[in-house]
Amino acid sequence: MAWRDDWRRVRAIVRKDVTTELRAKAGFNSVASLGVTILILLGLALGPDAEALRNAAVGAVWLAMLFSGVLAFNRSFQVELEGGALEPLLLYPGPRWTIFAGKLVGNMMFLTMMVAIVAAVGVVLFGVQIPYDWPKLLGVFALGIIGMVVLGTFYASMASRSRAREVLLPLLLFPMLVPVLLAATTASRAILGADLMHEAGAWIKLLAAYDLVFLIATFIAFEHVIEA
Amino acid sequence: MPASNLSFIVAAYAVTWVVLLGYLFRLVRKGARARAEYEHAVQERAGGTR
Amino acid sequence: MPAPPRTSMWLGIGSFGAVIAAQTYAILTSPAEGDMGHLQKIMYVHVPAAWMTFLSFFVVLVFSVLYLWRRRENDDLLAASAAEVGATFNGLTLLLGMIWGRPAWGVWWVWDARLTSTLVLFLIFVGYLSLRAFVDDAQQRARWSAAVGAIGALNVPIVYMSVKWWRTLHQPPSSPETLDPAYTMGLRLNAIALLLVLIYFIRKRYEIARLERAVEHAAEAAAMGGR
Repeated sequence: MAWRDDWRRVRAIVRKDVTTELRAKAGFNSVASLGVTILILLGLALGPDAEALRNAAVGAVWLAMLFSGVLAFNRSFQVELEGGALEPLLLYPGPRWTIFAGKLVGNMMFLTMMVAIVAAVGVVLFGVQIPYDWPKLLGVFALGIIGMVVLGTFYASMASRSRAREVLLPLLLFPMLVPVLLAATTASRAILGADLMHEAGAWIKLLAAYDLVFLIATFIAFEHVIEA
Repeated sequence: MPASNLSFIVAAYAVTWVVLLGYLFRLVRKGARARAEYEHAVQERAGGTR
Repeated sequence: MPAPPRTSMWLGIGSFGAVIAAQTYAILTSPAEGDMGHLQKIMYVHVPAAWMTFLSFFVVLVFSVLYLWRRRENDDLLAASAAEVGATFNGLTLLLGMIWGRPAWGVWWVWDARLTSTLVLFLIFVGYLSLRAFVDDAQQRARWSAAVGAIGALNVPIVYMSVKWWRTLHQPPSSPETLDPAYTMGLRLNAIALLLVLIYFIRKRYEIARLERAVEHAAEAAAMGGR
């Protein structure tokens, strides 16, 4: 059945990327370290007043994720690029969207692990008090990460193959992620602050809609983008 | 204060014209260069013994 | 390779003349207003510039999708031309917004919904143009910019909405830019005039793009030992 073959392809790509990642060793550790480093620098730049830090916590965590995330996204295509493996990958029979799906899953795993570390460090460094409805906060983070990964993977599929990948990916990606940044930070702040105005719900809906719209759009667009 | 606002109004229209005329001149210059290169390329293909 | 048609010089002269006429009419006929004096006159250039920005973006969207659909090179060149012209009008909109804002709000910048989303839109334009600058292969450049252009345009209303929510939930609304009915005629005339300028700019930029592409084609053919 065609569906099963497709999913097998996706799993194969994920497995390949995870294996490469585990062998590389330097990969996840260095990107996660960078995320934490950025967080520390933000703390130094915005502190030392505890009140100011507590207010800045949400923004700092999301920015640290954004800046280190771009490295993860470019790297997700780097492996093929360096080994010249992109062309053979394209020659394999099967629909192209499976490549995109595979990369998406890989990046989701990568960023989920990263955000766990960065957020934990952020809670400690910025003196955040975990709220009563912290599962809602997890939801916000999940939706925000999805938005980042969907667009990050999409733009990285092009930027990583262009002449100026380090500057091009952030330049393309960051303006597009403005709604994610606004929604994630505002909702997070609302939840941390007991959400007296019940704002978080509306922002969560916006995030979900955003993720859905761009998930569909990027899948459609990827076909056109990935041709060698 | 209407008087001090005048400088901003003037500035706004000045900026508008600077941008519009500036872009116009950029296009005209680029256009001339592009046309010249095009004519040159056409001549090369027609006249040159390739 | 057939020569791309020349853009009419008369369109250029006519459109610029129309702008002069519209601005003159608007400045002379609009009354002073309250404590702002004649400050609202800036709206005659700021609002049409904003409209032209969004119109340009719409053209980028349409021709990006068209290119992805039927892969005609000219569609890509038209999208790119509209993007460059749109970015120019976008920059102008931002500058004029700031010039209006300084006396109106007392500061050069406020993170209000319209100004902020116009700024983000500007960055999306810049990203699109940078992508084109950094990709050398013409077909890849066309495909990639079309994808980026379409997806970028998709985000424009979302960005505007999210910035608006972001603002209204935390601050009182900024001074409303609702226009006195006395201003409507002048605004319409200026908008039409600027539209003519937009059409002229895009056509001229498109002509240049086609000429440059033709030269590129010739170079490619020569490199491959063409006829």
